[in-house]
Amino acid sequence: MRWLLTAAALLFLGLFLFVPLGVVFFTALQKGVVFYLQTFRDPDTIAAIRLTLLAAGIAVPLNMVFGVAAAWVIGKFEFWGKGILITLIDLPFSVSPVVSGLIYVLLFGLQGLLGPWLIAHGIRIIFAVPGIVLATIFVTFPFVARELLPMIQAQGNDEEEAALTLGASGWQTFCKVTLPNVKWALLYGVILCNARAMGEFGAVSVVSGHIRGLTDTVPLHIEILYNDYQFVAAFAVASLLALLALMTLVVKSIVEWKSGQQLKQQALGGEEENS
Amino acid sequence: MSISVRNITKKFGRFTALKNVDLEIPDGQLVALLGPSGCGKTTLLRIIAGLEFADSGTIEFDGQDITDQVARERRVGFVFQHYALFRHLTVFENIAFGLRVRPRSARPSKDEIRAKVHELLRLIQLENQSGRYPSQLSGGQRQRVALARALAVQPKVLLLDEPFGALDAKVRMELRRWLRKLHDEVHITSVFVTHDQEEALEVSDRVAVMNQGRIEQFDSPDEVYDHPASPFVVDFLGSVNIFHGRIESADADSGTLEIGAPGHAGGAADSSVGYVRPHEMQLKRERNGDKSAVEATVTGIYKAGPVARVELRRQDTGESIFAEIPRAVLQELALKPGETVFAKPLAIRRFEGSQPS
Repeated sequence: MRWLLTAAALLFLGLFLFVPLGVVFFTALQKGVVFYLQTFRDPDTIAAIRLTLLAAGIAVPLNMVFGVAAAWVIGKFEFWGKGILITLIDLPFSVSPVVSGLIYVLLFGLQGLLGPWLIAHGIRIIFAVPGIVLATIFVTFPFVARELLPMIQAQGNDEEEAALTLGASGWQTFCKVTLPNVKWALLYGVILCNARAMGEFGAVSVVSGHIRGLTDTVPLHIEILYNDYQFVAAFAVASLLALLALMTLVVKSIVEWKSGQQLKQQALGGEEENS
Repeated sequence: MSISVRNITKKFGRFTALKNVDLEIPDGQLVALLGPSGCGKTTLLRIIAGLEFADSGTIEFDGQDITDQVARERRVGFVFQHYALFRHLTVFENIAFGLRVRPRSARPSKDEIRAKVHELLRLIQLENQSGRYPSQLSGGQRQRVALARALAVQPKVLLLDEPFGALDAKVRMELRRWLRKLHDEVHITSVFVTHDQEEALEVSDRVAVMNQGRIEQFDSPDEVYDHPASPFVVDFLGSVNIFHGRIESADADSGTLEIGAPGHAGGAADSSVGYVRPHEMQLKRERNGDKSAVEATVTGIYKAGPVARVELRRQDTGESIFAEIPRAVLQELALKPGETVFAKPLAIRRFEGSQPS
């Protein structure tokens, strides 16, 4: 029975995870390594990679700051409207990315609420880089806050209060007590946030306008290549995202192993002392 | 540093945690805030620390009004029930924390910090544990580190919230004696919260007994135990026998004490309640004309340690009473369950018309 279940799980995993992953790399390298590398010399591809890095480079740090602040406020303080704030943080998870994108179009688009004013002032958001960055920020903002919140809530207020009575300022307390206690959760949240920021398709697709070399991110560029029947090139670029996913998994495992190690060491140390 | 608590009131929503509390803690004393859970003792401690703020009233340190100062300005040492050590820092770094976070101008040099921390490590007898993490220490060790950490910043007052509450009985006992010794050496004005009357009576110079957001009595441990100010205090400081009804005279020494059943043809004394501690009960086989003894049936005998605990049922009212008598006396009496004895209170405390709360 055990073997049967294990086999079923492995088969499932193989069919839906490893086979597609294999196909990506197989197709990407079908015409040889030279052709594979050539794909990345294409100016449009380079532009797409650059834009993706830019969007993630802005969205991830912003969401890190926002996530830490939100988790801290929610975890440490009691205030009116806390429940609403938690719901709002979860909103990007519950709303389809396409809808998120459309919201921005409705807000900033030509026919949108702020559209005429923006055009009058020569500011382009939709079908331009700012729209892509905004959409990325929106879609990825729950990750850090969601990772940190349970951690911060579980740890309570005692250590912070101790720091305050010892004369530490609010900022010192945050940097020297709160942050070190949640560093692994924070790192994990940032990794997830980054993976999503680089891989986001739906919301970005709506606001991008698909202008090659200008408003294409990596996922959008893959779609364009694929639709142009440039399968090998499409898969070559896709292999980049696949690599990113694998790297995320590796880093995630290391982080989990590290924090687990720390916990185990502490537990062992405690036992030694007690016996 | 003396602490003056003036007319402090604190509400949490609809719950009133403290009602017009006044408390004067003289310089250099070790004071216990004693009471059942929910009586407001921890809230009062946190208000003195500046971790909580009162709705009304003032707090003064040495006559200086510090009501509006926050915790970090008050320079208090606070020890938490669950230690609240910084788990990512070593014992050394935990103790040094308060010195390291000072503004550069007031911060001691590295050597000074090291000297100070080692001095404190010696004081708490953990000199060779400085590189360990809190999770590698036992509960008693952790609480000592927490104490050293609080003392490192040379606080004006030391506040301890149920400092031994999370420890097992033996460690508790050792640690509270150690705290008393420490206080005799350091002489810093200290306030500690506890729900353990034994702990409060043993360790402190003065005890504030609290109940439902008020201080019922603030006196020396002897005074609180021997002359409790209210039924609550008697009841809270150890087990007690309650005698309802006619008590002719509480003057036990003159031997004119007389106890009757409630509703008995009595005088004005009918409404009074008398409190007698179990060890202040005398058991006799014969009444010998003593009107102050009540007739009771032995319902149980528990022998543990040098003192035997005898459970009795009054024959007139059916109320159960307890007596604690030396084992030798018990052997002499040769009591057995079901037998009749005469129980005589040797000392009785009365609070006219009041009921224990």
